[in-house]
Amino acid sequence: MSSKQSILNALKKVAVEPQALPTFDVAPRIDDVIAQFETNLNTVAGTLHKTGGVEALQAHIDELTAQGKQVISTTDGIKGNRAVPGTAHQLRDIDYAVIPGDLAVAENGAIWVNNKNLGHRVTPFICENLFLVIKADTVVANLHEAINQIGLEQGEFGVFIAGPSKTADIEQALVVGAHGACSLNVYLI
Amino acid sequence: MSTNHSSAIGSAVHAKKAEIFCRDEARVDWHSKALWMLREKRDRAAASLPEWEQLRQLGSELKLHTLTNLGHYLEEFEKNCLDNGILVHWAKDGVEHNQIVHKILAAKQVKKLVKSKSMLTEECHLNPYLESQGIEVIDTDLGERIIQLAGMPPSHIVVPAIHMKKEEVGDLFHEQLGTEKGASDPLYLTRAARAHLREQFLSADAAMTGVNMAIANKGAVVVCTNEGNADMGANLPKLQLHSMGIDKIVPDLDSAAVLLRTLARNATGQPITTYSSFYRGPQTDGEMHIIIVDNGRTEMLQDKILAESLKCIRCGGCLNTCPVYRRSGGYSYNYTIPGPIGIAVGAQNDDTNSIPWACTLCGSCSYVCPTKVPLDKIIHHHRRLKAQAGKLPYGKRSYMPLVGNFMASETMLNCSMSVARTALRVLPGSILKPFSGAWGKYRELPVAPSSSFETWFNKNRGK
Repeated sequence: MSSKQSILNALKKVAVEPQALPTFDVAPRIDDVIAQFETNLNTVAGTLHKTGGVEALQAHIDELTAQGKQVISTTDGIKGNRAVPGTAHQLRDIDYAVIPGDLAVAENGAIWVNNKNLGHRVTPFICENLFLVIKADTVVANLHEAINQIGLEQGEFGVFIAGPSKTADIEQALVVGAHGACSLNVYLI
Repeated sequence: MSTNHSSAIGSAVHAKKAEIFCRDEARVDWHSKALWMLREKRDRAAASLPEWEQLRQLGSELKLHTLTNLGHYLEEFEKNCLDNGILVHWAKDGVEHNQIVHKILAAKQVKKLVKSKSMLTEECHLNPYLESQGIEVIDTDLGERIIQLAGMPPSHIVVPAIHMKKEEVGDLFHEQLGTEKGASDPLYLTRAARAHLREQFLSADAAMTGVNMAIANKGAVVVCTNEGNADMGANLPKLQLHSMGIDKIVPDLDSAAVLLRTLARNATGQPITTYSSFYRGPQTDGEMHIIIVDNGRTEMLQDKILAESLKCIRCGGCLNTCPVYRRSGGYSYNYTIPGPIGIAVGAQNDDTNSIPWACTLCGSCSYVCPTKVPLDKIIHHHRRLKAQAGKLPYGKRSYMPLVGNFMASETMLNCSMSVARTALRVLPGSILKPFSGAWGKYRELPVAPSSSFETWFNKNRGK
């Protein structure tokens, strides 16, 4: 008998009382979701930019590229100085990645990013610094609302990103910048 | 390495290993406080959500529901994975799991594997197996990399190197990674590890991760990290592997959302982990494998009480709150997973038959658990199972029945308590102390009351 079959056979009878799948009706906190989002984004060490829109972001990126920084953008209307390379490994020297987020979650400061907007899947992790761009009307109250709106089609990859990478594995001291991006700036457009 | 690490290898009764850990009192205090800090952060995060108790209840119910229909959901999950281009393997135990992993890696001539945190692969002892087959395994979570370089197992499921001081990490990195001698600043050491591990990610032939949730109706796995190490691994080499216990299945995205809301809040007090990644297929030209592992879980499901331990989502909250874990350390449990949940899922295999007693039955763990695993009840049940199997530790087997008879007899109890009160009053402590055994080691003998409670009650409250 295959291991699959023996596992499934063993599961035919379990000692747990039958239990219906509960209905998930958790009341969202709907007061000023943008303010909630900003507070929680700060908690997870990210920064929100609410004014200036695409123009201010492009101006900032132009400054960075003028300094010789390597900037890749997969966001419509924003230009960096690097194109999506042939292999993921060639992203190793990217200083800044500018990526569009599909939606943001007020209760925890997370932003959903789908691989269709990434070039290579590793882009938001391998870049030194990450810029995420979101539309103000895509901020939802909580994860229950967000989870039903995320794009995750067959074969896809997507990720909730809440802040820059971090660790507290040495004596519980918080260090921002572990393996992923060392900073996260979020631009509201 | 200090004596604190020496207890990690080999099994011994819990009290013996705890005694080794407790030799350095200042370190024990520090360890206890570091963990209590996590508990306090957890409390603040939980209190910030008015629906916290509702989420715990939902988490418990959705997990129980899944466990009662596990075969159905596993088959649904496999079917959807295959539709998504994901290859699925089934392993009945750790040995088979390791062989499957090796076969996948060998087919692609993998020389170097980067691995993010997975308690399951620790449970299966995957690293030594792959190393014996000539494959280099690099643990990429910072805490795991630290203990891997130190040649030790994890002492906590979320913060694996919690028992180590930054100076010790500094010495280790100086020897192994060439950091400056004497440097112990966490920022400096973390940056050094980042640079070192970046090279490993970029030169790896394959990546492996654990699984936080497997979504049956999507055929997707969710992997949560703060460091980004799972995603740096899985998205660079073209071969990605994910190992999961059968208990990681949830029916749908709504269920996953409930658990994602409580997981990080209960672990570290964060509103969510930095990265919650949903893999529903391999990258372009890539290959994605999922290995579904039983390794004793179906057997636990045959016991109504033990089964509930499979509701666990491995947040580590029960470790942080446990007064015994905080003061005895992760290496005192004879199992990869320490603390209350480690007793719940590991006591069956404890050859010292002492681990179910590494618990005061205070119930704090059950109180903080985000899926309401009745940990104290399970631990108590393990004591009963040990007794029924005739495996009680010597003392409990020999004198506990006598104590039981003695305490059941009113005459004997009253008479001897009277003697004890008199003895405590008239005899010096130095003579009496040895009779109190291990209990008296760190405690003073009590001041004897002048009469028994019964006498006092009859005099003051009686008719």
